[in-house]
Amino acid sequence: MKRHTLKVIGIAAAAALALTACSGGGGSTSNPKKTAGGVETGPVTITMTWWGNDDRASRYKQAIALFNKKYPDITVQISFADFSTYWSTRATEAAGRALPDVMQTDMAYLREYSSNGHLLDMTPYIGSTIDLSGFDQSLVKAGNLDGKQIAIPTSTNTLALFYNPDLLKQVGVDPPAKDYTWADFNTFLAKVSDAGQKTAGGQQIYGGTDYATTFWFFLQWLVQEGKTPFKDDGSLGFKEQDMKDFLSLTADLRKAKQDYPFARTTQVLPKTGFSMNEATAEISWDNFLAAYVSESGNPNIAMMPVPTGKDGKKSMFFKPSMLLSAGANTKHPQAAAALINFLLTEPEVGKIFGTSKGVPGAQAQRDAMQLKPGSVDASVVAYEKAVKDQVTAQVPIPVKGFGSIEADYKRLGEDLSYGKITIDAFVKEWFAGAAISTQ
Amino acid sequence: MTLIAKTTGTGGRAIPPPSATRRRRRAAETRAGYAFLSPWLLGFFLLTAGPMLASLYLAFTKYNLFADPTWVGLGNFQLLLQDPRFLQSAKVTATYVLLGTPIKLIAALAVAMLLNNTHRGKGAYRSVFYAPSLIGASISIAIVWKAMFIDAGIVDQVGQFFGMSPGGWVGNPNMTMPMFILLTVWQFGAPMVIFLAGLKQVPAELYEAASVDGAGPIRKFLRITLPMLSPVLCFNLLLETIHAVQIFASAFIISGGTGGPAGSTLFYTLYLYMRGFVDFRMGYASAMAWVLVVVVGIITLLFFRSSKFWVHYSGEAK
Repeated sequence: MKRHTLKVIGIAAAAALALTACSGGGGSTSNPKKTAGGVETGPVTITMTWWGNDDRASRYKQAIALFNKKYPDITVQISFADFSTYWSTRATEAAGRALPDVMQTDMAYLREYSSNGHLLDMTPYIGSTIDLSGFDQSLVKAGNLDGKQIAIPTSTNTLALFYNPDLLKQVGVDPPAKDYTWADFNTFLAKVSDAGQKTAGGQQIYGGTDYATTFWFFLQWLVQEGKTPFKDDGSLGFKEQDMKDFLSLTADLRKAKQDYPFARTTQVLPKTGFSMNEATAEISWDNFLAAYVSESGNPNIAMMPVPTGKDGKKSMFFKPSMLLSAGANTKHPQAAAALINFLLTEPEVGKIFGTSKGVPGAQAQRDAMQLKPGSVDASVVAYEKAVKDQVTAQVPIPVKGFGSIEADYKRLGEDLSYGKITIDAFVKEWFAGAAISTQ
Repeated sequence: MTLIAKTTGTGGRAIPPPSATRRRRRAAETRAGYAFLSPWLLGFFLLTAGPMLASLYLAFTKYNLFADPTWVGLGNFQLLLQDPRFLQSAKVTATYVLLGTPIKLIAALAVAMLLNNTHRGKGAYRSVFYAPSLIGASISIAIVWKAMFIDAGIVDQVGQFFGMSPGGWVGNPNMTMPMFILLTVWQFGAPMVIFLAGLKQVPAELYEAASVDGAGPIRKFLRITLPMLSPVLCFNLLLETIHAVQIFASAFIISGGTGGPAGSTLFYTLYLYMRGFVDFRMGYASAMAWVLVVVVGIITLLFFRSSKFWVHYSGEAK
């Protein structure tokens, strides 16, 4: 009996193998079909990967399900991870020339991949498979390095000051005025912290986190100072003194312990003091609104532009984000290009993602977003519209090794917050590290 | 195979002299032996020895994974000596090893001696104490540990109950090391089981004779237990030291892969990982790995060299 069952299973398995073998063979020999987008494809499987949370994953899955309705022959195998794990894995794949067919990329790491030819030059596909006619052209340019279109940004982000009006009411401090300077911002932060109010959980309410320890805010400040942070030849456009000046902005806050304590920051990760409702304001990228609203449970969180520079201008910039690239090693460039085009331009995809990846670069996607008044998406789009006049600067294009120098800045900022190092030591160590990372 | 075929193929021939048969059989057995070993041998050469040799080469190169490695000679090692974070990581790891390992072994020996004297429920106790060793290095325990030591976590709450307000240990650079040492001491089960086995080997007559001579428990411990246990102690000490040097997973999870706060959990292997897979400086990371191999090698050598002065093997004239 037992032996008989085994035999049956064996035959069934063999038959199944033969069947799949046949169907595989049949598939590859059948004539490539012309599909809706005019792309020549047989049944192919491509891989796609991104970084982000579960929310983003479910949105990507919906978008890919839509893609499969239009391109039933292209199977998309997906995977995702958090930001830092994502880049470790990609680097290992790059070493083995085994990058995914389609992948989300970031300006911070683009140079490493471009200078060694790891990403597919999509120029031949633009105009045919990838239709960028309704796309913000300055965004497209951001993904063009050394004359090769190795990435196309999905969307834009710009910096914003988020504040929690309810918490400010409790503390009894008004949000900063519209034309507030960095010094005004400091006064505001100190005032909130000095009020000594507590949350329901008994935690002290602070003005906000020490902004000087975030690299992108330093870059924003440099741009306001009229500096170009990164030069075309990959060298730095600022001196040690610039960094010392910026770090000194919040020196008094640090000394008086008026900024959100770092010891607490590390413990509430991946949330922040702001999204824990323990700090009243935080500078961040504008697409963080969705996360802030859901994490804090407060739909009233508001946004305003960053502090004003010394020349009275805010000199903000749009940062191209969530770029899409194809691995140079892809065996199915057509299919990869079709997927990239679909994600970038399909109006329905715009509806699925909303502003969770930033404000989409494609006009069609912006138009398709159903903006309920008062919704997160509506607020972000309205914000980018409102600050458009203040966006007068070019985004600093990250140099090679940007990921490392940004991480170094953050780590040294941590040491500074704990009082383990001085500003001078911070700057000295950062420049020493940058000399190695950016070469 | 051919040998076997030849012998069986010429079946009509007279049986060869026994010595030749034995030789052939031995050769066949050798081949079979290697055939059975081959999965392990392949694994060793392809997955261990090969990558190790490759990393030895990479240690002398600049390699960022994206472009081909370029030879820099001893450059990486020179950079290492000037790198404040390298020294910090060495310091953090040394502190951990020098404090954590002895405390862990003392706890293991103490519990082993208690268990050695109990008779009822010995097996159950042994299992209960051993359990943390099985799961201690896991990711889930690191997450639980972190949750226990944050602000308003269980440790903080117990502290507040007793009128202390230590706050979360996780965010306090001065308290992270005690937290990690507690985590390793909690896993004393593995050396404990080995100690327990060692204690069983100590002949009861020695204790009886000592009792007759009027020796107290402390004297018995110092004069009988410790010397008789010294081979086991040596083994445990070496094993736990090497084990401690390799701490990675819990440090990675608890610090969120950063070695923070303020570099207080920047363990050597964590820094090595960060250099390799966050900064993509594989040459530098490989150099660090080889420095670690050499240091662990020296420690091991010192253990073996010094053991003849303090390890007592029964039966040896001393």
